Amino acid sequence: MSEKPRPELVTDGFPGKRRPRWVELATSADHKDLGRILIGGSLGFLFIALVELLLMRLQLAIPENTFLSPVAFNRMLSLYGTSAIFLFAIPFALGFFYYAAPLQIGARGTALPRLGQIGVALWVAGATVLYAGFLFTPSEAGINPLAPLTELAFLSNNGVDAWATATGLAVLGFVFVAIDLLTTLRNLRAPGMAWRRVPVFSWAATVCSWLLLVIGPVLLAALTMLMIDRNYDGIFFADGSGGAPLLWQHLSWIFFSGSYMLILIFAFGAISEIVAAFAGRPLLNRGVVMGSMVAIAVLGTLAWMQNMLTAPIGIGWMYFAMLMSLALIVPFGLIVFNLIATMFGGALRMRAPLLFALGAISSISIGLAAEIDHSMVAAAWQLKNTTDATAATHFALVGGAVFGGFAALHFWFPKMTGRTMGENLARISFWTMGAGLLLAFVPLFLAGGEQGQVIDAYKFYDGNGVNGYNLIASIGTLVLAAGIVMTLVNAILSRVNGPEAGHDPWGGDSLEWFTLSPPEPHNFDVLPDVRSAHPMRDIRDAIAHRDSRTDAPAHESQPVA
Amino acid sequence: MAPHSPGTDQISTLLTIGFVAAAIVVVAINVALVVAVRKYRAGRGAAPSPAGSGRRVQFRVGAVLTAFAAAIFILSVVFTGKARETPSSGPAGLAAAKTGPLTIKATGQQWLWRYDYPNGAFSYYKLVVPVDTAVKLELLSTDVVHTWDVPDLSGKRDAVPGKTNKVVFSVDEEGTYEGQSATLSGQAYAAMQTAVEAVSPQAYEDFLKQQKADIETAQDRVVDLIQHGEVP
Repeated sequence: MSEKPRPELVTDGFPGKRRPRWVELATSADHKDLGRILIGGSLGFLFIALVELLLMRLQLAIPENTFLSPVAFNRMLSLYGTSAIFLFAIPFALGFFYYAAPLQIGARGTALPRLGQIGVALWVAGATVLYAGFLFTPSEAGINPLAPLTELAFLSNNGVDAWATATGLAVLGFVFVAIDLLTTLRNLRAPGMAWRRVPVFSWAATVCSWLLLVIGPVLLAALTMLMIDRNYDGIFFADGSGGAPLLWQHLSWIFFSGSYMLILIFAFGAISEIVAAFAGRPLLNRGVVMGSMVAIAVLGTLAWMQNMLTAPIGIGWMYFAMLMSLALIVPFGLIVFNLIATMFGGALRMRAPLLFALGAISSISIGLAAEIDHSMVAAAWQLKNTTDATAATHFALVGGAVFGGFAALHFWFPKMTGRTMGENLARISFWTMGAGLLLAFVPLFLAGGEQGQVIDAYKFYDGNGVNGYNLIASIGTLVLAAGIVMTLVNAILSRVNGPEAGHDPWGGDSLEWFTLSPPEPHNFDVLPDVRSAHPMRDIRDAIAHRDSRTDAPAHESQPVA
Repeated sequence: MAPHSPGTDQISTLLTIGFVAAAIVVVAINVALVVAVRKYRAGRGAAPSPAGSGRRVQFRVGAVLTAFAAAIFILSVVFTGKARETPSSGPAGLAAAKTGPLTIKATGQQWLWRYDYPNGAFSYYKLVVPVDTAVKLELLSTDVVHTWDVPDLSGKRDAVPGKTNKVVFSVDEEGTYEGQSATLSGQAYAAMQTAVEAVSPQAYEDFLKQQKADIETAQDRVVDLIQHGEVP
């Protein structure tokens, strides 16, 4: 019998020639691909930010050093701050949200994939603009460049314009991703997954997306005003003729305070999942933890004037900022209490994700404890803009974004790649980072708190009693960087060489562990009915019961899924 | 920082309170973490227990945390209120400042501080004040944001263009107190320093007279040169 050609039946080589992998990744609107771009890209910028930080610390290793010129130092400072916040910390958090949250809620994709894709593309464009600034002149105006230093009269080259464009593109991208995440979390949860059953990390994604929708446009507005000031003779932030330099401070600090909270909420979301998984018991009082996250987002953003306690604002506003900041003690305290209470009475498996999560709690505790002092008005008059503030911010944000982020990385790496990250290198990296963090920033606490060494300065003078502190801080930063690089190397090596992980290497509680590692493009073949806050635990229990069903009396077995 | 003004005494006390509060938080959390890791590691104890703490425990913890935050808030308000009070001039102070503080205008500009005294004299970099006298600095900037910071005498205050800020202090001992601007203001920011020299009221009056005379002499000379067609 001769084979008749059947053009309607394509069986061989479907769907034809696949495009190269990088083209598929770059053109994909799948949340997992976009999440990987955000995570991988932000780890790259973490490395670049570390190089910039090291160059600054090299300059500040000895008094009156001439390694970097003042202009070069200010450029490094601006690039470091922008890279660390807009190109590392926020997109790193968003990347994990974007990758894991749709899987956790049992969605087969996101609701508005193209919007998310545009968002990630805008972020890449922002990063490109920022570093293309090297071709002409990077900004010299600092981490949060306070107007009117950013006005044309004081910095007339293109650096500030490049900075504003880059930051604006990135923030617009974050807002787009947040809209997609929020719509997905709102509409595409698996059957039975009421809000009270949403995994804590997905709840953190919800809170952070709302937060970005509030604070993102505020910074975008401020950046637009700045661009009008610089390029179209605007007077928003210029003194005289009705302009108000303080307006920039209000608008930008709303964003920066909010994003500080975003990074911590992300970290505590990831830490909650990890502590629950590695203690072998569900998170205690998840409702309290989830409510606390909302409180942190609201109070933390309302505390924006905590950064302006030395500015010419009324004393009443200062007390308001202090009240909001100190009120944060309650939600942060409740989260940490419940995390520790979950560990007490658990059976802790000390694997890398838990190690990094505990390091994150410890580091954040030091940073936020110091922030208490920076919120007490008169104490802030002394401590503000000293290296004490540098140390407090770094303990909190390195704790949140680097330790907390690395905990998330080690935790979800098996899901993303199908392989576990090397455990030994992870441990060495963790302890190196921990030692580096303490060496780098405890001396800065002392230099700033005791001797009043000021922030952002390209040099310090001999005879102020801060030489030793700065030298140790520089060495410590090198150690911290070495530790971080070890984890980056570990991630790169483990993608190909790591031990293979199954679909559920840690015994997690949420639905991302129900699907394959890495998941198929459509995420799930079948979706289980969700009956509790820990569906994957229910599935495991049901399987265990199914195997022993012959032995157990019928009334004792309760198949759940 | 070594307090040399009534305001910085209060700040110093508040800093100690803040340090104790921060230390309590850090020690409590980190000790709990260490205990958890040592005591509840898998393989050392029993299987994970399903029971957890109830709602009552949450309320208690919340109440303790609220009380802690409220205590810090109240203490801060009390000490901040004291720290920002205008001090009264002592017996050894300037006679003219017995009723109200001696007001001096401090203007930040890239990258210098200029001080304008009541009699019209001015000085750059160095501020001369009489000892044991209430001094009020009116801070203003002509260009970007600067921060006036002499840690021994007062907390930091920003000089923002178009908006006046103020600092009050009363130096208790003659001497020179160093300070540095504390907000990034451009290239020479790290070199933007200042010094407050506290002298006896008599020396202060002499300084003002001398400074004013010097300025007038210099100005006359410039006017003279211009009239003779020379550019100084």
